[in-house]
Amino acid sequence: MTSVLGETRVAATLPSPRDQEPMALVDLLDRLLGTGVVLSGDIVISLAGVDLVQVRLHALITTIRADMMEPR
Amino acid sequence: MGESGRYLYAVTRDVDPQALRDVPALSGGTLEVLEHDEFLAVVSTVDLDEYGEEALRVNLEKLEWLEKAAQTHHAVIEAVSDLGPVAPMRLATIFLDDDSLNRRLDEWRHALTQVLDRVAGRLEWSVKIIAANGAPGASGTRDPDNRPASGADYLRQRKAAVEQRSQRESESQQEAHRIHEVLSARAVATRVLQPQDPRLTGHHGTMVLNAAYLVEAAEGTAFAEEAASCAEAQPHLEVDVKGPWPPYSFAMLEQR
Repeated sequence: MTSVLGETRVAATLPSPRDQEPMALVDLLDRLLGTGVVLSGDIVISLAGVDLVQVRLHALITTIRADMMEPR
Repeated sequence: MGESGRYLYAVTRDVDPQALRDVPALSGGTLEVLEHDEFLAVVSTVDLDEYGEEALRVNLEKLEWLEKAAQTHHAVIEAVSDLGPVAPMRLATIFLDDDSLNRRLDEWRHALTQVLDRVAGRLEWSVKIIAANGAPGASGTRDPDNRPASGADYLRQRKAAVEQRSQRESESQQEAHRIHEVLSARAVATRVLQPQDPRLTGHHGTMVLNAAYLVEAAEGTAFAEEAASCAEAQPHLEVDVKGPWPPYSFAMLEQR
């Protein structure tokens, strides 16, 4: 069995800015947790000591695993 | 309600605060726009029982909570991005009061100005390229019909499979790299992000490129068309183009 993708999927919808599909959670968290303005310091409560990527992966994978436990 | 904090969504400038009046804030709060010199800080008040350090530790592990917070945060950033340049904050950036927020804006003045200059009039596009894994079991599961006769046999089979797979991957990598170069020529800036975990995206195969492109707002359509034509030229690669988004990947302050 080969599983070559037979078609090219291009999800580019030409904008009209707010007329697009919502951003997927994984893409959003990639950016909201991974990049964006990175803060540190005493004034900011911003998640001191919490590894955001770990948190994200843990939360998401736990959920996906739970889904996979469903009978196929 | 217990103690409260000020949740900062984004910093912008030169926009009409009234235009953000109807955008929902976190926890049913009200969005406010604070003026500090040339900057406008988009904030709302949050309850530290929900957004304090300890509470966040727990809440971030709850997918439902995380998703709601991320989507609300994102909707605010998008609304600001529609009006003017935006420096988005990371999720859960909370100050004890407006004074500490303003002090931080003073500290960031130079970096914030650079970020806002860089992203003004530009938007982010995402391009992910996925190469199909050619054979079943490519990720290490064994084929029961081809059971190795000995340990040495197993190692040989394993080595051959790994080599074949890595050659296919490196060809896909090169093709993806060429597409990346073509698209980079249409972008003001690019960033290559970590490939995403297939368990999170549901894609099949290997993500050989996860890149973000900062593109002039007026050139978004041309960029998407270019990406589509690159995809047509490489039919065995899956090219996933998304956008335009607020310029998240290009709004990092140069500080640690």
